Amino acid sequence: MLNYILRRLIIAVFLLIGIGAVSFIVIKLPPGDFASRYRQYLIDRGTPQEEADRAAQIVRERYDLDKPVAVQFFLWVKGIVTEGKFGYSFAYRKDVGELVAERMPKTLLLAVLCHLISTVVGVGLGIFVAPRKYGFWDNFWAVLAFIFTSVPRFSIAIILLYVLVIKFHQPSLSSFFSPQYVIAPWSLERVIDMLRHIWPVLLIAGLGGVARNLRVMRGNLLDVLGAQYVQTARAKGLTENKVIMKHAVPNALHTIVAYQGTVLPYMMQGELEAAIVLGLPTMGPLFYESLVNQDIYISGSLLLMYGFLILMGNLLADIFLAVLDPRIRYS
Amino acid sequence: MRNDVTPAPDLGLTEEAHHESYFQLVSRRFARSKVSLVGGCMVLMLVILAALADFFSPYSIYEIDLKSTFIPPQQVHFIDHEGKFHWRPFVYNYVYTLNPKTFQVYWTEDTSKLYYIHFFVKGPEYKLLGLIPFDLHLYGVEEGGTIYLLGTDKMGRDLWGKACQAGRISLTMSLFGTIISIAVGSVLGVASGYYGGTVDMVLQRFTEFVAAFPNLPLWMALAALVPKTADSFTVFVLMSCIFALLSWTVLAREVRGKVLALRATDFILAAKEMGASDARIIFRHLYPNTLSHVIVVLTLTIPGVILAESFLSFLGIGISEPLISWGLMMRNTQDIQTLGQNSWILAPIAFIVTAVLGFNFLGDGLRDAADPYATM
Repeated sequence: MLNYILRRLIIAVFLLIGIGAVSFIVIKLPPGDFASRYRQYLIDRGTPQEEADRAAQIVRERYDLDKPVAVQFFLWVKGIVTEGKFGYSFAYRKDVGELVAERMPKTLLLAVLCHLISTVVGVGLGIFVAPRKYGFWDNFWAVLAFIFTSVPRFSIAIILLYVLVIKFHQPSLSSFFSPQYVIAPWSLERVIDMLRHIWPVLLIAGLGGVARNLRVMRGNLLDVLGAQYVQTARAKGLTENKVIMKHAVPNALHTIVAYQGTVLPYMMQGELEAAIVLGLPTMGPLFYESLVNQDIYISGSLLLMYGFLILMGNLLADIFLAVLDPRIRYS
Repeated sequence: MRNDVTPAPDLGLTEEAHHESYFQLVSRRFARSKVSLVGGCMVLMLVILAALADFFSPYSIYEIDLKSTFIPPQQVHFIDHEGKFHWRPFVYNYVYTLNPKTFQVYWTEDTSKLYYIHFFVKGPEYKLLGLIPFDLHLYGVEEGGTIYLLGTDKMGRDLWGKACQAGRISLTMSLFGTIISIAVGSVLGVASGYYGGTVDMVLQRFTEFVAAFPNLPLWMALAALVPKTADSFTVFVLMSCIFALLSWTVLAREVRGKVLALRATDFILAAKEMGASDARIIFRHLYPNTLSHVIVVLTLTIPGVILAESFLSFLGIGISEPLISWGLMMRNTQDIQTLGQNSWILAPIAFIVTAVLGFNFLGDGLRDAADPYATM
């Protein structure tokens, strides 16, 4: 068991290095290095040429841009791990690490909330429809699930935005709190206020997750319901409810846990899409903004963070599954 | 006494009894599923609309007419404002009035004159399928009238015609990207499954690595790197490759699984014993047997690419004018004020949803049909 977890951790570290390398390539790929872009940025904003040259030279030395690429990559990773320094953002005039630290908890909060809700609702609906195979409710939810996964999430976000802003005149949608709660200490009202702001993102990112969990749970449960031990349970005279909840559901659940590794990226991408359209200050809009402004250290760092979060999610799902299901072989 | 033996009763199992080829079985099972037929029709409809976009749209979408900016969708009437019924459908022109205080534009129907809709009318010239010079259009109105069934955009272009035209890029790009990813996925899958051992190990780890990557953020990052100055064709090819880059993993795994199972079967062994080369075994025996799965994955990958492409173009980091796609058409909706006054510019959503649903339905039906020997 411990052996298995250790091996998963080692694989995860290697994957993380790979993801870091790709993120670094994204930073390095645009023509010209960061210093020359910084110089151009300063000149565009009216800085005299010599001064911009000097600033660029300082940046070049500070970020080791004169060293070979492999060394630069090593130093970049080292900076992230030891000091939490991701590189400099000239749009925000601070280190990307601060921006990440500021926004990542919010992204994480949304992703986890979304995940929990969609898992509970999706699994619940799956348990509800599976015994009613091909009945009205089964077909009803199957069609809805198809629609939820087919409508582009950014367009749901636009429509929601349109309805909320134009029809219901709801203000300050693109923040976590209403103005009076921004610096207030945590309280029940503050949580409620936050939920009133983030529910559109939760809804949009969660709908697809609900649909997917529903389909997987329904399929699993149908498989399990056809098994012989379920028949035995019925033959013993147990009520159908007891058969499903006591014998079938626990055996169908572990596939859902294994499946969470697939749902998490889907959820994060949903959060990304919805947050960009609605302008909720999480990692999503920052990432988009940086891509448009070519603020390349933000793009690369956030790419790394997205990869990291998804990797962690997968790892947790794997380990949790191993704990939950003794049938998993650790080889 | 040998003559006394009665012949075995003919159970209809003897030769020529009932034999159906693989494709007959597949098509029969496919036709049985209503949903996949509906999906097929949706896809076919979009393909026809896109291929013959000029024919279906009454106007050329390359003409800019700033006098007809943001006209709402025109309603097709049968009954005029006096309550009289007309056999031929007609439209009223829109005239606009400005609110003197807010300068808000109001479009109202001008019921003083009605314009009949005619079918197969002569209009702006174009080339049918890019080859045959043609000037017939499916519908149009009499001189002086306008017909914008889905309204117009900021440049006064017909949204219906534009959406048909946009289907060309949206559909071909997703198809092209998917085909590249299918090619990569099949090669890696077959190699991994057939050669096994170290090759399999390395390729599997590589597949896992690519699959672990967050698709959408990487797509966005790479798309943003495509130079803005590149010509349309380069952008098209680059974007397709970017989409292909991450979507081959599902297929590679499925093909590998199939090949692993087939590798141990008798007919592959027989081929090997007869001295067939690796290339012959792979291309004549193994790959054709995985083809049905490849087609299923193809239809199920396309919707994902359509969704991603439309999102990227919507954000302005995907394709840009003069190319148009459904996502790009919705770029204006980012401005909540524009959207608030002209809600009909959301129309391309309907096209995206139709395409995605269509391919999903189709793929679902094909998946069941691809394995006709399994019981349902």
